[in-house]
Amino acid sequence: MKGFGYLVKEGFRNVWSNRIMSIASICVLVSCLVLTGAATLLSRNVSDMVESVGQNNETTVYIKDGYSQLEAVYIGKDIEKIDNVQSATFYSRDEAFKKYKEQLGDELFAQIEQRNPLPDAFIVVMDDLSLYENTVEQIQKIEGVSTIVNRSAFADKLTKLSHLVNMISFGIVLALVIISIFIIANTIRATMYSRRFEISIMKSVGATNMFVRMPFLVEGMAIGLISAALATGALYALYEAVIAVVESTNLPLNFIPFSSVLIPIAIAFVIAGVVVGFFGGFISIRKYLKMEGNEILGW
Amino acid sequence: MIDFDNVSKTYPNGTHALYDVTLHIDKGEFVFIVGASGAGKSTFLKLIMHEETPSNGEITINGNKLSRMRRSQVPYLRRHMGIVFQDFRLIEKMNVFDNVAFAMRAVGESSSVIKKRVPYVLELVGLADKMKNKPSELSGGEQQRVSLARALVNNPEIIIADEPTGNVDPELSYEILELLNEINAMGTTILVVTHEHELVREFHHRVIQIDSGRVISDTKQETYDPSDDIGIDELYSDDVAEDDSDYDFGEAASDYDYDFGEAAEVDISDLYGNANVNP
Repeated sequence: MKGFGYLVKEGFRNVWSNRIMSIASICVLVSCLVLTGAATLLSRNVSDMVESVGQNNETTVYIKDGYSQLEAVYIGKDIEKIDNVQSATFYSRDEAFKKYKEQLGDELFAQIEQRNPLPDAFIVVMDDLSLYENTVEQIQKIEGVSTIVNRSAFADKLTKLSHLVNMISFGIVLALVIISIFIIANTIRATMYSRRFEISIMKSVGATNMFVRMPFLVEGMAIGLISAALATGALYALYEAVIAVVESTNLPLNFIPFSSVLIPIAIAFVIAGVVVGFFGGFISIRKYLKMEGNEILGW
Repeated sequence: MIDFDNVSKTYPNGTHALYDVTLHIDKGEFVFIVGASGAGKSTFLKLIMHEETPSNGEITINGNKLSRMRRSQVPYLRRHMGIVFQDFRLIEKMNVFDNVAFAMRAVGESSSVIKKRVPYVLELVGLADKMKNKPSELSGGEQQRVSLARALVNNPEIIIADEPTGNVDPELSYEILELLNEINAMGTTILVVTHEHELVREFHHRVIQIDSGRVISDTKQETYDPSDDIGIDELYSDDVAEDDSDYDFGEAASDYDYDFGEAAEVDISDLYGNANVNP
């Protein structure tokens, strides 16, 4: 297409000459993209974690402080007596400590090695998970049992949380997408208003609708492209910040590294940004394309 | 080239702008369209440009029936026309070169062609030395010549000038029409809408007079006597009957060579583009 370069240049010029509105559009679109990205990353991380914990239906039974290991062994025997319990494997506080130390690094644990704060525990595997509540109740009754943590219940909770977050963010993102399109459409409408004189001349000399439309579509897509780039950077910064906070709490959680999702996220952002920008431009120009001559100028 | 067959135009608000207008304009003609404001001249031009569609009747341009024209084809119709506006419609922030180049960019012309063509056309209208000036730095007459250059730059077969002298000093008005005359001599059809009867008298061209939406007179060059001292309205009313017999529109339309578009393009590009006048 001849003159294509000119039209693209015009589009980018529009973004600049109308920068206040452009910045507003970019801000909204960036927040929209970052939110979508954050929700996606969260659900990806959660499903990753759920996968790693959810498969084994292990229940951890912690023994109260002050019980010796010998006493603990008797508690284990009592647990195994319960019908639904298939096995109860002793998991000593020293073992637990060693595992945490491996996972989280030596320095942190060097200082507290002498006073290990972790309790002894039994890893209980049940025959029938549908009797879970009942079995837990029975274990709870045994003298010396402190708390019972079901990792699959934890996984359930995580999944539920992730679903909830997904639903909420889907709603927010949907609203933001609509707002983005609306704001971009208005931004471009403002450009178009300031350029209506040129549009009327273009139409009078026989510019095709495609040609009249092009700079404004480019303007919308340019806004989308800029937003995509900013959103990728912002999401990266946000993700690293959140990981830093979570890791400082020493929870044994593994996060997906951002680099592994960078490319698909960037591609998705660019596509989403360009599509939203395109629609913004598309809906705003329709009005002017239908008008002729002095109607455009409002004379 | 341009055929109106029983064309009427009534606007949605009930204004009857044109009544049953039938006329034929040949390729290469120079036609004045005169009439008081509100007579229907603007509607006439809008119909030719396909900015408006007739309520009744058929308009044929270069053999294309406008009623059968799809919206997407309208831009290509307009590329056969160059429009000159009364108020020049120049883009203030662009210099003279860019104003003229704008019309070429709008139809997707490549910048290498634009760089050769624009100076040539500006030379033609006598503004080669004002290329870098902004419109605000030019006189009204010069601005109108820029507007004319913009209308010419895409090699149209028809130049439509809507009150081209309305915002120009009387001495310079003559100059503008002289220029249109020269362009006409190169084969371009010229349509000038004006209410300045004095000017019309100076040039020996066909005059179509519109009043209250009707063509009340249509005189050909041969029958127009500029030395005649009688009022122009009287002159026209005398000629009505004769004109009617002179013009057999139906026949003219059917004899019409519908390949005009192409033929004309060759003509004009020979005259303008390949004339080797590029500075």
